[in-house]
Amino acid sequence: MANSLFEEKLYSGEFVVTTEVGPPKGADVSEMVHHIDVLKDKVDAINVTDHQSSVMRFPSLGGCLIVKELGGEPILQMTCRDRNRLALQADLLLAYSRSIVNVLCLTGDSIDVGDHRDAKPVFDSDSVQLLKMIRTMESGKDIGGNDLKGIPKFCLGASVHPEADLIEPQLIKFEKKVAAGAQFFQTQGIFEVASLRRFMQYASQFDIKVLAGIIVLASARMAKYMNDNVPGIIVPQTTIDELASVEKGKGRQKGIDIAARLIRTIKEENLSHGIHIMAVGNESVVPDILEAAEVEVARY
Amino acid sequence: MIVAEQKPLPEIRRMISPYDRVLIVGCGTCMTVCDAGGEREVAFLHDALRMAQSKDGKETHHFLEATLKRQCEPEFLQMLVDKTSDVDVILSLGCGIGVQAIAERFPDTPVLPGVNTCFMGISREQGVWDERCAACGECRLEDTAGICPVTRCTKGILNGPCAGAKNGKCEANKDMDCAWILIYKRLERLGQLERMRRYYPMRNFRAVPRPRRLVKTPVAIGEDNG
Amino acid sequence: MYHSVAGNIQNYAEHRIETPSRDRSFVPPCQAACPLRMDIREYVDLVAQGRIMEALQVIRNGNPFPSICAYVCTHPCEEACRRGQVDKPVAIRALKRFALEFGGDRMVQVEARTEHPEKVAIVGSGPAGMACAYYLRSFGYPATIFEAHSEIGGMLRVGIPRYRLPREVLDVEIQRLTKMGVEIRTDTRVVSLDLLFDMGYKAVFVTIGAHQSLRIGIEGEDSPGVIDGATFLREVNLGLKPSVGDNVAVVGGGNVAIDAARTVLRLGARKVTILYRRSQAEMPADPVEVEQAVEEGVHIEFLVSPTRIRRQDGKLNTTCIRMELGEPDASGRRRPVPVEGSELNEEFDTLISAIGQAPQTPGDFRVHMGRGSTILVDPATLSTNRRGVFAGGDAVTGPATVTEALAAGRLAASRIDDYLQHRYPSPNKGGRETLAGDLLPKTVEMIQKIGRIEAPLLPAEARIKEFEPIELVYDWETAVNEARRCLRCGMGAEIVFQDKCATCLTCLRICPYHVPYLDAMGTIQIPADQCQACGVCVAECPAKAIVLRKPYDRRHVTEELDHVLKSARESKVGPLIIGFCCQYGLFGTGTLANLWKVAKAGIWIVPVLCIAKVEAEHLLRAFEMGAEGVFVAGCGEQCARENTAAWIHSRVQKARKVLSEIGLEPNRLQMYVPSATNGHPAEWLDTFVEQIGGLYLSSVIMQEVKVDSR
Repeated sequence: MANSLFEEKLYSGEFVVTTEVGPPKGADVSEMVHHIDVLKDKVDAINVTDHQSSVMRFPSLGGCLIVKELGGEPILQMTCRDRNRLALQADLLLAYSRSIVNVLCLTGDSIDVGDHRDAKPVFDSDSVQLLKMIRTMESGKDIGGNDLKGIPKFCLGASVHPEADLIEPQLIKFEKKVAAGAQFFQTQGIFEVASLRRFMQYASQFDIKVLAGIIVLASARMAKYMNDNVPGIIVPQTTIDELASVEKGKGRQKGIDIAARLIRTIKEENLSHGIHIMAVGNESVVPDILEAAEVEVARY
Repeated sequence: MIVAEQKPLPEIRRMISPYDRVLIVGCGTCMTVCDAGGEREVAFLHDALRMAQSKDGKETHHFLEATLKRQCEPEFLQMLVDKTSDVDVILSLGCGIGVQAIAERFPDTPVLPGVNTCFMGISREQGVWDERCAACGECRLEDTAGICPVTRCTKGILNGPCAGAKNGKCEANKDMDCAWILIYKRLERLGQLERMRRYYPMRNFRAVPRPRRLVKTPVAIGEDNG
Repeated sequence: MYHSVAGNIQNYAEHRIETPSRDRSFVPPCQAACPLRMDIREYVDLVAQGRIMEALQVIRNGNPFPSICAYVCTHPCEEACRRGQVDKPVAIRALKRFALEFGGDRMVQVEARTEHPEKVAIVGSGPAGMACAYYLRSFGYPATIFEAHSEIGGMLRVGIPRYRLPREVLDVEIQRLTKMGVEIRTDTRVVSLDLLFDMGYKAVFVTIGAHQSLRIGIEGEDSPGVIDGATFLREVNLGLKPSVGDNVAVVGGGNVAIDAARTVLRLGARKVTILYRRSQAEMPADPVEVEQAVEEGVHIEFLVSPTRIRRQDGKLNTTCIRMELGEPDASGRRRPVPVEGSELNEEFDTLISAIGQAPQTPGDFRVHMGRGSTILVDPATLSTNRRGVFAGGDAVTGPATVTEALAAGRLAASRIDDYLQHRYPSPNKGGRETLAGDLLPKTVEMIQKIGRIEAPLLPAEARIKEFEPIELVYDWETAVNEARRCLRCGMGAEIVFQDKCATCLTCLRICPYHVPYLDAMGTIQIPADQCQACGVCVAECPAKAIVLRKPYDRRHVTEELDHVLKSARESKVGPLIIGFCCQYGLFGTGTLANLWKVAKAGIWIVPVLCIAKVEAEHLLRAFEMGAEGVFVAGCGEQCARENTAAWIHSRVQKARKVLSEIGLEPNRLQMYVPSATNGHPAEWLDTFVEQIGGLYLSSVIMQEVKVDSR
């Protein structure tokens, strides 16, 4: 019995499409609401990011509540950067109580890349420990060993980085996440199909689902910026060159083309169980990409 | 070794401004080694402060100098007794421990910190120190091939690495190596990669709870023999 | 007990300088090898700084007749000089000569008063006798020198040729003796010591030298045309011009033989051949003399010895036999053994035998004799078996060097003084240890190699035309450059305050010569025999635990600075600019010499011995005491010792930081190091002075504005 529609879709054997929205920096959620509205029927689930790049924003749990209100399927991104084990467990109880049960467990970007650089980095746990923590709660106890009144159940995911420049330690971590209870993985941005293929050859031995991350770029400058400043993203030179090859103003379309091309290839070759589109502030292009990639989602 | 950096001169001047007679106290151990508060630095700071005051013409501090072998031992602090009777404030160039030790020993004299104590670290080469130990109280270097993830990983995680490393460098500071990649390589070299595949549960952040104290009790031997 | 430094700041210099004038240095090998134990390291360093007159003072303090030594000393100091382990020894003798010629008659002490009634007789006016007279006179004793010949000086006059020791030099020294009140009686041969005591002398110093030539012991040695070396040289040196013909042989391998051969050339002979029975390696003569002789055209035949001389048709038909080297003899050298059947005949106009000399002590002296007709003495006191009779010089040692004779004369004077005052001679004050140990290869590697600059010589053809001195003297720049090759042995860094040392390893890491090391106990050791006394560790030690064993400068940098500042502030020429300039090399040689002699528009130079010793606190001090601008000028790549620019640069940065933090323009402090792109130092200085002038003017204006606006 699946814990959520998303979980059900994961195990259905059909191609899964997820995307993400970034909450606003402030109390005005109108734009986020708009994006959610547009996307909720076009994708299987929407991630709400948790202070992505360590920039303080409207909380992901709040965003997930809004997704739920609007009738969409949320995935709660939960990082370990800002909350200790008490706060994490408490938030999970709240999430479960509001039927938000899809959780992506992340360690979190370091404080140094964000906009509150003097803040105390918490990191009471890491992503592996968070997965374990949640599975422990599912067994009826908190991680202090105390019984829980009302036991939550979740669908858990984690991230993986198939295009890391040194892959072995990432794979060791990946296995630990699987052992700790991860069911699905949303990868960091894929730019080269070959690396996805290689990774999947290895990952297919595990009983998990992989959604290939697709990052939507809009210019060569953006790509270089992300290379230098955003953790986990490595845009290869060929992609940067391709973006640079078009004239100004056409970058956005080029980005869409590149993304769509990747998605088509992945779908046709069955390289992963689905995709996770990261539009990085450009959420409005997602429908265009799906159209260009000829991917349609039938939401139950 | 404890590594510190002397506070900027303007800050020190601001701190001493309400006082008249200032005793500058150096430390002959760690602060000498990291060249932040040894005898030479005491003398140099004294000169700079004196020059600053004569340039401005507004202040009228009197300065005295002293350097102790260590500020964190009562026997050494005893040597300051004669000088402290005559001063309004003590400017300590010792680490945070020394400053507090002086404050405790001379409760009637205000004490100012002249350095910012930074970390416990290793000397890489002349003039370069890196943090190595956070005094977590539950050392796990056995499992990480002698590389501490608490001090050398910016997130301090125990099941590393995260996805942020690029070219072996940390996402937070491109001059620093990703500790977990170092650990991975060293474990591989030692044939101990198994240790990295293990699950490490969350740290006990209260292994030695603050405020911390360590007491060495003498071992009782042969109590029942009398 | 940790030594804590505190106190008021009135006497800045006092409470910072822990031990200003102690000397824990080692006796350097040069000094240990010198028979007179002269402070060679000290005077060479003074020359390197361009302080020639002070060098001269040191020289005169240690040697009664330094001019003579400057010409003829055999320089055992140079043989011992450790610079020779890097490239070639420092040219100490030539430097001494430079200092003496530079200073001339200045620094000469001629005052002497008579404070004791006891008069002393000195038999023989050679160097030992002259020295003894000098010192006795300065102690206050009346002294009389008895000289058998008409001329004064012993071997200095009759033995050493004029081209090696100009007679004017000798005469000046002798005049000094007479000015001091020494009575010299020439043409007076002493035949009995009892007579001297009868005449009222209370002590006698016998120093009759070794003038009696040894006989070869072959047939025909007494033929006309055969002359012994000592006699030959005496005749020439006394002004006679013996005719020697065109083709002359000299038998022997010592300095007398070489002197004789070179003298023969100067008398006009076409060919002179030295016949020596051993090989070149065993020749006792100074190798430099031998080299010069060969340059001048002297032929040397080795492993050959005459066996018979026959006078035939006005020529000397000489039979010689070839030798080969057999077992070592008593002197340690391999004994020459005649090779059977290898006789050869050669013809010469004159044959000079110079195989050695011995003293000729009259039996009436009734002193006990030792080997080779030398007088027996107690080496510590130079006293003979007769009460009140002392002896020294060649008469005791056999033919030896001038410097050894001077030392003997000095020792005798002290001992005679003890004797006359009924004192036990005070034991040698032990004192400092001599530096032992060779330079390690890793130290040598880091020392900049600068070749030895030899004193210029007249070309060989010019030399043999006459008896003029053959060696010219350095010019200032050359002398200073040669002197700075000195390694300053034994006065290096020492961790004096072991309790302050935190073993931070700074000294170990920054030493340009890799000298400090950690011993087995984990303690830092700075081996005295490797340290090059550059002063970098002294300035950088965070605990101020290191001091140079001998602060050989007359003043510590701070004292030097304060000394300069005192005059500078009195002068009231503005703006006041202080320059810390390296005394060695570029600056000691006089490129900026003018600057320190004359205060140019408010610039005052603080001479330092290598800017590695200038610390950030010194720079600040200059500003605090009123300097508008400060510069540090070093030798950069030309620094003979270590690359100091990097060190000074970081200290300048540190001082600049403080300047800007207290509201002074950091550009008031600058560093100058000559390089290919830098231009002449004087130009740079002019620009700097202009800059400071501008800042000074604007600050003066600001002052006035402030005053006006009040």
